[in-house]
Amino acid sequence: MKKKPYQRNAGEFEIRILPDGRVVMVAPDEELMDMAKSLEPMNEQLSTENKEQNVEIRNESES
Amino acid sequence: MDLTAHNSISQRRETINAELASCKLCPRDCRVNRLKGEVGFCGLDSAARCFREMIHNGEEKQLVPSHQVYFAGCNLKCEYCSVAEWNRCPMEVEGIALEQLAKKIAKRRADGAKTLNFLGGEPSVNIYGILGLLELVDPATRVVWNSNMYYRDIVGGVLEGLADIFLADFKCFDANCSRDILGVTDYSEIVRTNVKYACQHSDVILRHLVLPGHFDCCAKPILEWIASEIPAVKVSLRFDYIPPIPAEFSPAEYLDNAQKQAVLDMAKELKLNLIE
Repeated sequence: MKKKPYQRNAGEFEIRILPDGRVVMVAPDEELMDMAKSLEPMNEQLSTENKEQNVEIRNESES
Repeated sequence: MDLTAHNSISQRRETINAELASCKLCPRDCRVNRLKGEVGFCGLDSAARCFREMIHNGEEKQLVPSHQVYFAGCNLKCEYCSVAEWNRCPMEVEGIALEQLAKKIAKRRADGAKTLNFLGGEPSVNIYGILGLLELVDPATRVVWNSNMYYRDIVGGVLEGLADIFLADFKCFDANCSRDILGVTDYSEIVRTNVKYACQHSDVILRHLVLPGHFDCCAKPILEWIASEIPAVKVSLRFDYIPPIPAEFSPAEYLDNAQKQAVLDMAKELKLNLIE
């Protein structure tokens, strides 16, 4: 018998991590929104590091 | 809110109260006596049950910080609904007492909330309780009616002067898409009538959540209709569709950049009044 996917109950929350690395919160409440906000500096840091890496890679390929 | 409208809330409640005895607030036309606890499609009696209130900064810029007040119960059954768990059995939701909610609204406003944003579920099927709540709220509050717009004209009339801004969803255009995804075939025509009426007396932000793979059947005709009928209306395109699991009729994938760009290009080509 095919198992049905789990259905959220009232008061539960759902976070999905997509194959491309994105994190999706489904209808977050205020606590989850605060949590997401607290992750923003980390996200920015990762983004900056990625940009720096990209610059390095570009520089390497240019030289 | 308009002060005259605020002063007439009790009469407007009476109008809705009479309607609830054989409910025809929406085109579902259930004709159940919600005053006696009978429930129709939305699963609600006459009380409004708030399941969440929060400050949200992700709404359109002119609305934020927005105090969102969520009510359980809906007259649609959108397969991709992100709060469906609250709408399955809305009568089981304990809810927050209206007096307590009114105090929270005053506090949130004092803390800087620019708008009071009623959503759900669907606020229209909760309108009797919401009117009771509005009686307790400072009339200077800016009220946002964040709705699927699937309601009878009596609701639109009662909201005149009370809802400062309609944050109006236009989900699907094609009747087959709305039948499969939302659970009604007449969605598009009802929404078009209600949006045009709302435009006559309130500020309207028409919101379209772009569904992957629904460009020709939904996004394109919606944008064309706006351009032809209400070209000045503010249009908010949303690209944050989250597929349900499982997705029987709704798209199972997330929106990609090419589809997002195609809708944006078309909106710009039609010179729509796009807002963020």
